Amino acid sequence: MMLLSMNRRTMAVLAVLVPLAALFVYVALRSGPLTPVPVTVAAVETRSVTPALFGIGTIEARYTYRIGPTVAGRVKRVDVQVGDRVRAGQLLGEMDPVDFDDRIASLTAGIKRAEAAALTVKAQVLEALARKTYADAQARRYEQLLQTRLVSEEMAGARKQERDTADAGVAAARAGLDAANQASASLRADREGMITQRANLRLIAPVDGLVTARSADPGTTMVAGQPVVELVDPTSLWINARFDQLGVSGLSAGLPVRIVLRSLKGRELDGRVFRVEPLADAVTEETLAKVVFDALPEPLPPIGELAEVTVALPALPAEMVVPNASLQRMDGRMGVWLIQDNTLHFAPVKVGASDLDGQVQILEGIKSGDCVVVYSRRALTARSRIQVVARLEGASP
Amino acid sequence: MADMGEKGIHIEAICKRYGKGDTAVDALKGVDMQVFPGEVVGLIGPSGSGKSTLLKCLGAVIEPTSGRMTLGGDVIYDYGWKIPDLRALRRDKIGFVFQAPYLIPFLDVTDNIALLPMLAGRSNTESRKRALELLEALDVGHRAKAMISQLSGGEQQRVSIARALINRPPVILADEPTAPLDSERALAVIRILNQMAVQYETAVIVVTHDEKIIPTFKRIYHIRDGKTQEEAGEGRALV
Amino acid sequence: MISLAGRDIQHAWGKFVFTGVGLGLLIGVTLTMAGVYRGMVDDAKALLDNSGADLWVVQQGTLGPYAESSSLYDDLYRGILGMPGVTRAANVTYLTMQVHHGGQDVRAMVVGVVTGSPGQPGQPGYMVSGRRITRSHYEAVADMAAGFKLGDQIQIRRNLYTVIGLTRRMVSSSGDPMVFIPLKDAQEAQFLKDNDAIVQQRRRTAANPLFNRPGVPGLMDAVIASQSTNPYVNAVLVQINPDLSPEEVAEQIRRWKRLQVYTREQMEGILVGKLIATSAKQIGMFLVILAIVSAAIIAFIIFTLTMGKIREIAVLKLIGTRNRTIAWMILQQSLALGMIGFVVGKIAATIWAPFFPKYVLLVPQDAVSGFMVLMVICILASLLAIRTALKVDPAEAIGG
Repeated sequence: MMLLSMNRRTMAVLAVLVPLAALFVYVALRSGPLTPVPVTVAAVETRSVTPALFGIGTIEARYTYRIGPTVAGRVKRVDVQVGDRVRAGQLLGEMDPVDFDDRIASLTAGIKRAEAAALTVKAQVLEALARKTYADAQARRYEQLLQTRLVSEEMAGARKQERDTADAGVAAARAGLDAANQASASLRADREGMITQRANLRLIAPVDGLVTARSADPGTTMVAGQPVVELVDPTSLWINARFDQLGVSGLSAGLPVRIVLRSLKGRELDGRVFRVEPLADAVTEETLAKVVFDALPEPLPPIGELAEVTVALPALPAEMVVPNASLQRMDGRMGVWLIQDNTLHFAPVKVGASDLDGQVQILEGIKSGDCVVVYSRRALTARSRIQVVARLEGASP
Repeated sequence: MADMGEKGIHIEAICKRYGKGDTAVDALKGVDMQVFPGEVVGLIGPSGSGKSTLLKCLGAVIEPTSGRMTLGGDVIYDYGWKIPDLRALRRDKIGFVFQAPYLIPFLDVTDNIALLPMLAGRSNTESRKRALELLEALDVGHRAKAMISQLSGGEQQRVSIARALINRPPVILADEPTAPLDSERALAVIRILNQMAVQYETAVIVVTHDEKIIPTFKRIYHIRDGKTQEEAGEGRALV
Repeated sequence: MISLAGRDIQHAWGKFVFTGVGLGLLIGVTLTMAGVYRGMVDDAKALLDNSGADLWVVQQGTLGPYAESSSLYDDLYRGILGMPGVTRAANVTYLTMQVHHGGQDVRAMVVGVVTGSPGQPGQPGYMVSGRRITRSHYEAVADMAAGFKLGDQIQIRRNLYTVIGLTRRMVSSSGDPMVFIPLKDAQEAQFLKDNDAIVQQRRRTAANPLFNRPGVPGLMDAVIASQSTNPYVNAVLVQINPDLSPEEVAEQIRRWKRLQVYTREQMEGILVGKLIATSAKQIGMFLVILAIVSAAIIAFIIFTLTMGKIREIAVLKLIGTRNRTIAWMILQQSLALGMIGFVVGKIAATIWAPFFPKYVLLVPQDAVSGFMVLMVICILASLLAIRTALKVDPAEAIGG
């Protein structure tokens, strides 16, 4: 009877309290640690993985020529600007010869003087030769006379001695001629050398190329070894790429490469690995490699521009793969969370190669068709209650 | 001196002094009064005459300074309270009817009345049954489920009378019960009081100065300066 | 016996529920404050859990890398890797900075991690979408709290990174979302400023005659090159053989003498004890104030409700209601008000907690102990009203 006689007032109060209590229970169950963790799952597939290596590099010229003086001097003129194309042998500029020309002239004069001196000595040789001939003849005659006792031994001996003297005189004169010749040869060599050095002051392009830097203007003083003009061979552009050592196995010459230049994002260029450098960078722990373009892009990209290179390795045979987001570490071991018969358990796995899209080979630990947890809203433990959903809310596809 | 063993209310030489020493006020200076079951007696006096004090003593709300009080055959006061639980006394033995109904606004009519027997320990069903009977007797049975605010003044007054009667107390104290009512309603209230008094053998004391109902009393006590004086009333018949 | 409290509440239920809702919002605020504190502690724990490390190796004499800045050479990890018990050691950098996306800046903690093999310490654990970093440059994994979506291009210093994965609850101890990028990019970001600053630096180097000697060609280039590299990292995260105790392995590494090593417990102590301590005290004081305010408000409400019934209470006393019954009626109303308030407060806190910029963690123990405290407060707060009600003289019901 009491239930039937519940008046409107009671109904009104219950109409407020009952939904409130229901909301309370709902709130208690849906939030907080009592709620199950939403997860998404994926089946283990058996697929072939195409690993790739990713590195970044800068565009460099294979050959860079730095043209500059071999002795300290002052720049006299520079005939080219940055961006000019030059031919092999073209004059690019010149250092100030200072006193070179004067010294060459001095040496030339010196050579003439030396030659003149040589002539004098040649005349002396002739004179000595004449004296020797006379002395020879006299010595012979007196020898003959000695044999017939017409002259004294002393006189014969004196003529013999004169002959020896004349021989010596010839030798001396000849030696003197040699010396004079050597002196002039030496001066000639000096002059040649000076001329060569003078030629060195002319800056000549060693090959066809492109001027990339003009480091000094006329009037600047340079030391030996400082470049005045830098040239590159534009057809020899390549990319000096660096790959993190941790993921670089399989890199070898000849592999195809896709290149993306920083200024041309969105356009992929083709190339290949030219060489893997034998010396890696020990400080940054990177392996270096040179990548060449199959076809140089037009216009030429500037040297020093950043490029991203992706080296495609050959596809590996089919193995079980999982998304790399499903790999977790528990108690020091890598593994994945498997859902078997509605229970969650952690399976340690052995990981193989992976590709750049996040697919990872699993060599041991799971079977094809197993259900692995890919994404979860909270960290999972063996005791977690889970709820499989298609997508986690708030995370866009 | 009346027979103390009879029911009804008998008081003898009741004095009440407020305060002490120089500022003491003697509100009651030796009051004698007796009302027999079935009687409706008027208590008339000007304000300041002590009638409120007398009512409070009769209702065991304040303690008299001296005297004796007997209620329903039991001595309740003899120079000191003789009953340990005054609240139970009020609950079981005294019915109050006030000038204003003083009903509990958050209880419905039935529960306002049934509350008293529930407080005395009766079950809810029995209390409500008795309440309903009383309401029927007072002609307000049709308002049993209403809330107090929905009742008219007369209906409220009848409900308060029902409340005073529910525990069958031997005495009912009514304080100006007809003051806010017109003559028809006032006479109706007095009529009910008379009926109930006879039916339930209750002694009823009505404190009033309402000219409309004074002629209906058979006996009247005048109170002045703390002393009472009995006189016979007109006893006009009620239709 | 009927329930006087129940009837009174039924009669004035609108006022009661309305008051209860208001009180409930106050209680919701209190529960949320406790949640804020727990969220801060959880942020610190999440930071430590998500790093996947058993030991943190930092610069000696620092509390780094989270509480204090720490700098190590980036080749120190090789020596640590060789120590007994160490299974993995990886460099990591942390820098809180602005990350730009779509014209807006987001404050994030940029973490440089070693990519290239899964499971290196420092890499995030579980993910909510996308994949882990596979390329050695210009890819990023961001936390959902940063507001990025997969495929977004974000700018960190001078480079653009593509967001290829999203995580959840990867935050720094101050609640900033984490963005994971390859270590080398992070080292560059920590060190290389924007282009203007680099040009200024080159100009200053060129103007310095010590570095720009004409007789030594190539010196200036060498100096500028050395200024443009950053061989430092903030910490080395170490994973150890699970059979060994972390403290043992840590002690061995400390003997290198120039490195400080912290285990997980020590890091937690540092984060919670130093980074969060002041905020925790602040929140604690606030909770106490809220409790006092709640008590005062409940006391006030109950007192007002009781005063509004004082005539009825006098009548009840007059007609014979026991003091005990009246006191119980008031107490019941106080407890009922508290319960409505708690229910409303718990619901409100649960609804608005996710909208707070930092993580608010509401745990059931807090709710339960909050409920107990609230009931005690209700009992105490009703004492004033009960005292007043009991002192009412029933004689007042009789006029004059």
